[in-house]
Amino acid sequence: MQECYECHSAKAKKIGGKLRLDTTAGLKKGGESGSPIVPGKPEDSLIIHALKWQGDLEMPPEDPLSEAVIADFVRWIEMGAPAPLDAQPEQEASSETPPARVYKSGNLWSFQPIQNHAPPKVDVDTWSRTPIDSFAFAKMLEHDLKPAADASSRVLVRRLFIDLIGLPPSFEETAAFEAAFESDAPRAIQQLVDKLLASPHFGERWGRHWLDVARYAESNGNDGLSRNASFPNAWRYRDYVIDAFNRDTPYDQFLSEQIAGDLLEVNSDAERDRNLVATGFLALGAKPATAMNTNFAMDVVADQIDVIGSGILGLSVACARCHDHKFDPIPTRDYYAMAGLFTSSETLWGIAANEKLTAPPTPLHVLKTPPKVTAPPEALKLMEETEALEMRNYARPKEEFTYAPGTPVAMGVRDRKAPANCKINLKGDAKKLGEAVPRGFLTAYESKALREIAIPPKQSGRRQLAAWLVHPHHPQTARVMVNRIWAHLFGKGLVGTPDDFGVYGEKPTHPELLDSLATSFVTEHHWSVKAMIRSIVLSRTYQLDSRAAAGPLQSDPDNLWLARHLRRRMDAETLRDSILKTSGNLNPEPAEGSPIRHLELLVNRAPDLHQPSTHRSVYLCMLRNSPPKELAAFDLPDSLKVTGKRDQTMLPTQSLFLLNSTFVTAQAEVFAKSLDAQSAIEARIQSVWKRTLKRAPTPVELSDARILVDTMQPRPQAWPALCQALLATNEFRYVD
Amino acid sequence: MLGTASCGFGSLALSALIARSKEFPGLSPKLPLIPARAKRVIFLCMSGGPAQMDTFDHKPQTGKKPHPGSAYEFAPHGESGLKISELLPETAKHADKLCVLNGMFCDTGIHAQSFLQLHTGDRLRERPSLGAWVGYGLGTENQNLPGFISLNSSRPNCHGSAFLPAVFQGTPIGINGEDMARATIPNVTGDHLPPDSKRKQLDFIQRLNRDHRERSGDDPRLEAVIQSMELGYRMQTAAPGLMDLATEPKSVLERYQVGRKYAVGTCRESDFGRQCLLARRFCEAGVRFVEVNHGSWDQHKDHRRDLEANCLATDAPIAALLQDLEERGMLEETLVVWGGEFGRPGLTPGGKDETGHNQNGFTFWLAGGGVKPGFTYGATDETGARAVEGKMHFRDLHATILHLLGLNPNELTFPHAGRDHRLTGPEGGRVVEDIFS
Repeated sequence: MQECYECHSAKAKKIGGKLRLDTTAGLKKGGESGSPIVPGKPEDSLIIHALKWQGDLEMPPEDPLSEAVIADFVRWIEMGAPAPLDAQPEQEASSETPPARVYKSGNLWSFQPIQNHAPPKVDVDTWSRTPIDSFAFAKMLEHDLKPAADASSRVLVRRLFIDLIGLPPSFEETAAFEAAFESDAPRAIQQLVDKLLASPHFGERWGRHWLDVARYAESNGNDGLSRNASFPNAWRYRDYVIDAFNRDTPYDQFLSEQIAGDLLEVNSDAERDRNLVATGFLALGAKPATAMNTNFAMDVVADQIDVIGSGILGLSVACARCHDHKFDPIPTRDYYAMAGLFTSSETLWGIAANEKLTAPPTPLHVLKTPPKVTAPPEALKLMEETEALEMRNYARPKEEFTYAPGTPVAMGVRDRKAPANCKINLKGDAKKLGEAVPRGFLTAYESKALREIAIPPKQSGRRQLAAWLVHPHHPQTARVMVNRIWAHLFGKGLVGTPDDFGVYGEKPTHPELLDSLATSFVTEHHWSVKAMIRSIVLSRTYQLDSRAAAGPLQSDPDNLWLARHLRRRMDAETLRDSILKTSGNLNPEPAEGSPIRHLELLVNRAPDLHQPSTHRSVYLCMLRNSPPKELAAFDLPDSLKVTGKRDQTMLPTQSLFLLNSTFVTAQAEVFAKSLDAQSAIEARIQSVWKRTLKRAPTPVELSDARILVDTMQPRPQAWPALCQALLATNEFRYVD
Repeated sequence: MLGTASCGFGSLALSALIARSKEFPGLSPKLPLIPARAKRVIFLCMSGGPAQMDTFDHKPQTGKKPHPGSAYEFAPHGESGLKISELLPETAKHADKLCVLNGMFCDTGIHAQSFLQLHTGDRLRERPSLGAWVGYGLGTENQNLPGFISLNSSRPNCHGSAFLPAVFQGTPIGINGEDMARATIPNVTGDHLPPDSKRKQLDFIQRLNRDHRERSGDDPRLEAVIQSMELGYRMQTAAPGLMDLATEPKSVLERYQVGRKYAVGTCRESDFGRQCLLARRFCEAGVRFVEVNHGSWDQHKDHRRDLEANCLATDAPIAALLQDLEERGMLEETLVVWGGEFGRPGLTPGGKDETGHNQNGFTFWLAGGGVKPGFTYGATDETGARAVEGKMHFRDLHATILHLLGLNPNELTFPHAGRDHRLTGPEGGRVVEDIFS
């Protein structure tokens, strides 16, 4: 009976279904569903049906009682249901909330306030140049490690190009830097860094990093029933992100725009549009089929909470959807306090291929400044053909969800007219509701300033959420972002799990350094990502060589203590872009829109939607479950969740991509054709080496290459085969 | 010289492990820790929740209480007299090979979560899938092929390796309802160069790679890439032949119903026959774990129509697979596993042709690989609503499968985020020895 009395007795905080089982009167009177008991007739008694989970009512809601206990109930009713021991007479039900799980405060580092540590003082430190170096050097000493040599200028220029703009330097750019470095190394490095940070390619590189966090994609992905609706307007968010990194939009503003861009004051239509597009961040998630899924609306909310939790806070808040977080101090109440922000907002994803079973149609943000671009006839034809393939008649979407042809629209969110608090879903089940929780944020923070941010009753609270996240006292937002920046520059974060700063995540290797970086990010650099990157890459620690003596390799194989630089494989985009640049085939201009910008259809039913392109990879069409073939082999994120750290798989299918793919072989052909056919064979080989590896071949390499070219069959494939071979080497694909 | 690189995946795994942790177990192919009854697995994954009461768990109206029960006729089959629904006449011919588990249950009736739990043991977080654990435990037999292949896979996290070294992840072939006839291992062929020129080109690349490795300090990943290049190259000869069904006699293609596509309601045109035939061929070639996917069995409305289509699409191919495995002497060392993320209750009362989800009682069957043939283990109550006897959770199923492969399910662990993880989770799984032959 204990399970029943939690809700159906005088002890209950709130009487469930207005039914009391601890008094004879309550039993006779029954509750909202009627009287639970027909004495003598268990088969007609509602309570037995509920306990057996046979009808609409399933009690207890969380887990059924054992067969034996249910059998006892049956016997009791057969006996005529003699009265239980009467408890106190009925009282007014209390609305007090049940106590949440109690967490030991202070045991999770990432909830502690950020401390601005002074760099450690080491007795003899002739090595460090910047505060970052002092922190790193102290840890090296602590672990009996000596820093590796400084990287050579040739290694450094390639590292900086790849890390900052995602493209390799040309041989000439390499040579120019080497010369400048020779005469004044610090000045040469600074100038190069500033030039790269100012390049429009910077946003294409770092914007892509953020798109991984934002689980960006241009289609819904498999909804569980193999349907994959296109998101024809998602690319606007991609362009927004690239632009924001190029503008160096301060990170606090960047977050505010994405979470509450629709609620911010603006000075121009362009700013209004930009802010609306930014809220696409909350609408791009993969949604499960709404057909047969009673949790659909709450699944959308779960995705939004997850992208903020894992993406911005580094916390798996989403766990608390079903139960108080087992480890991190996040009670279920906090989850539903945040959920209320999003249930009070309307998420705009469009008509989702007009496939209502996947997601019900919604309106979109209508933009004022972008030009009208109407669908070309081919696009309309393709949609018709795909519909025909699907063998169904599309009902035209309702007027409220359609726009005049060519109207610029964007995915995003906006406030509902009547914001409301969200009820706790017991065990995450939207059909079993507990009490409503006032809208708010996570509660396990000491900062009074954070706790004082209140949500006005008429607002969803997203704006306040943004203010809460970027409050200087927030212990996670800045730490998580500087760690992401660090991880992209070093191949590994100071916290090894960039999306998890919780108990399950890894602890920081350099907590003082992390806090010092987070402090300077906020106070010194005013949330400028470019300034943060600049200060890190100008450290000596960043500029170390990637080779290490056997000792450090043995004692610190993962390079936790930063005594060298980690050699890294190029990611999918960098590899493709580098091949294009090397073959001479890269179109450096931003691509406009997307191949699917006019296509509302089910991707799984359509023919291949990817179009050949020589633009940078960030502009390729990023469909969930149907990634671009030129990128798919190399660990693209699946865009289903925040991906702060991409996989680094080593699969034979990657080798096959390099050996056989039409992309690589076609680029090798272009590359070979661009060689000066008039020049001597050895000069051409020299040229292939310079363009791929930025160096001259060794005598042995030269003679090897010569033999390959001389003996390769068929003859027209000789030079393409050599070019392809160089593009496939580890030296080309790994960055020291 | 390149012959020495033939340790393939196992050696890659080794490198990955070195990169990851200071201590590592020996790999590839490993001797099982306990006597193995099976060497490989074919998992026939029926996504959506197959209706057990209309396939393998007969619920006639015998008790006092009226209940929906089975909507189709059942009859005893074979010497074992195993009762199988009229919807599966071909599978029924192999009744004496099946070990039917009628006492399955799991935690949730939510598709995505339960599907993930079926594959990885966890319904929320990203964890290594069963096939990845098997590869980690046993290594691979054929150095020219991946050890784990997932055909017509629906979700990457269901064939992923999560925190296990990436070499153990499943290689997907055909994704997301793609026409399986078009499904390939990407780039496994390329006719820009003749084979001997490709060999020459690869030898040249590998020389450069080895020189680069020598100059680059001790980096195990660079050696791993060199070997991975070699495996990729070797797959060019092994894999296309396996994928090409042109060499199969017409009678075999017909028996498997290759190319016949049923797309009715929830039943998707997965060319299931092609998948089953590919599974047999991959197993013959030494692939350790092959997952074959069909769906969706999620018949809410038009239950009878969609269920009949799903049965029609899968019945003959499964029968053909069982027949071939037996005829080729492979069945006793190949564990075939059939089932989905949960089952279904009977039809909704009131004469409706509808069903819902039922995680409290449903059916899996196993065949071959050291399980009792023509055997039924476990039972649901008289209404089929709830497993009451021989109850098996997914983690018990996982434990039993690993044990049949000679692995100790509760000791096959990998360190991650500060503790040792295993497929069977903190609770551990029960090895159900009652079903061992």
